[in-house]
Amino acid sequence: MEILSQFINSYFLWRDPMIVGAVTGAICGFLGVYIVLRRIIFVSATLTQISSFGVALSFYLEGIGLTIFSSLIGPFALSLFLTIIAAAFYALKRDFSRISREGVIAFGFLLASGGVIILGDRITKGAHDISTILFGSAVVVDPIDVYLIPGVAILAFVIHLIYYKDFIFVSFDTESAKLFKYPLRRLNALLLITVALVVAVSTRALGALPVFALLALPALSSLYLTEKLKLLFVFSIIIGILSAVLGYFFSFILSIPTGASITVCASIIFILSAGWRQIRFSI
Amino acid sequence: MTELIKLENVAIGYEQDPFVDFINLSIEKNQFWGVLGPNGSGKTTLLKTILNLISPVSGTVFFHNELVFGYVPQNEKFDPIFPISVCEMVSMGRYSRVKPGRRLSNIDNEIVMRSMDSAGISHLKDRTFSSLSGGEKQRTLLARAIAGEPNILVLDEPTASVDIKGEAQIMELVRNVQTESKLAVLMVSHFLKTVSEFSDHLILIDKDSNTFLSGTKIEVLQKESLDKFFGLNLNLD
Repeated sequence: MEILSQFINSYFLWRDPMIVGAVTGAICGFLGVYIVLRRIIFVSATLTQISSFGVALSFYLEGIGLTIFSSLIGPFALSLFLTIIAAAFYALKRDFSRISREGVIAFGFLLASGGVIILGDRITKGAHDISTILFGSAVVVDPIDVYLIPGVAILAFVIHLIYYKDFIFVSFDTESAKLFKYPLRRLNALLLITVALVVAVSTRALGALPVFALLALPALSSLYLTEKLKLLFVFSIIIGILSAVLGYFFSFILSIPTGASITVCASIIFILSAGWRQIRFSI
Repeated sequence: MTELIKLENVAIGYEQDPFVDFINLSIEKNQFWGVLGPNGSGKTTLLKTILNLISPVSGTVFFHNELVFGYVPQNEKFDPIFPISVCEMVSMGRYSRVKPGRRLSNIDNEIVMRSMDSAGISHLKDRTFSSLSGGEKQRTLLARAIAGEPNILVLDEPTASVDIKGEAQIMELVRNVQTESKLAVLMVSHFLKTVSEFSDHLILIDKDSNTFLSGTKIEVLQKESLDKFFGLNLNLD
């Protein structure tokens, strides 16, 4: 009880990170449904790593004195640019000769991961700790993120509202979409670009690990809870918000890393959802 | 003009590698075409070329200006991870007439309901597609194809995963739809009996011998051609 009142009294400390976390949880939960249904979970892992690489590269350039460069394109812009290029590449490029698509996704993930660690080792500014970029910061977010992340989330959500039927159609039945002359490549690219946009802004604020967790686990949990498509989106959004809010709460009261706390909360909800399905089908 | 699709000296195959060439074919309104051939004979490649899903290696395929396809693919091709309901599945058939970024109108939804009624699947509308039996899936896919108000219905092995009763129901449904809407039908099947019973025109295709034969049922169902295509000594009496 004392911990709870201490938490409530520290409202001014956790309000902004909580808003950012909840909005990220909601939009990642929503977009995660497409990622899980299209079986491209590792594309989202790769995009979060590439986004982290963009942030690290920007800090590195700033650290070696290229301040003109970093003021022209800040961490967000560079991260966004690289993530969108990667998303467009994975959406548009289908044929990799003898190499499977998974192989190319793994290549992107490994290259970006290695790059982040190398750059992290070279970043001179102590404030930009590499573990923060990868695993999420503690309870502080950039004030601009309180507006930027909800703004990007609303933009992504509106695009998805307009193209809901089309994104589902091209994800579920590519052949008929082609037969009906739907612009397959453009719709796939638009879908992944909205993911890239959200990943780029939220990775900078939360870190790669929790963003990846919020893209994958809420949608996976929801698949255990419902067999209705629209409810899948609703449950995934709710679980995304819940994971982020509980993650911040436990991070605050237990003094544990926020990114890891969000990831563990989302994982616990996933285990509970799997258990719920087991119980439901065994009765 | 009743000609919906015309193939002129078409060679079909993948990546500039033709396996059947000199295909000439004309599909007209109200015709029922059956496509027969052994496993791996190029039936599906021919179907996809006709559907304009793959380009011919050479030759030309002409399509009628107002051609709308109703396509019934093999039901195993759908990923069961998608919790798509029967109603959502049938609605997708309507997307041939609804552009990206637009929603289905009330009229579209009425047509979707009517298509489910005619396929006898209205009671399944809230069920998940992946939870249906083989026959129910095929009827759902047929309702989906009808919902687009097509002028040609293309079916890829529609009775492959159903029992004898289910097969009879599906074929009866296809025949009713064709009669009512005066559609052209193009159906790929392994089953000579089914195809010969319902079709008025036949295509025999075999890529191993680079052979393509088409015409009316009487023209094509000759003992010599069947023996050649299926490698059997058939008795047609």
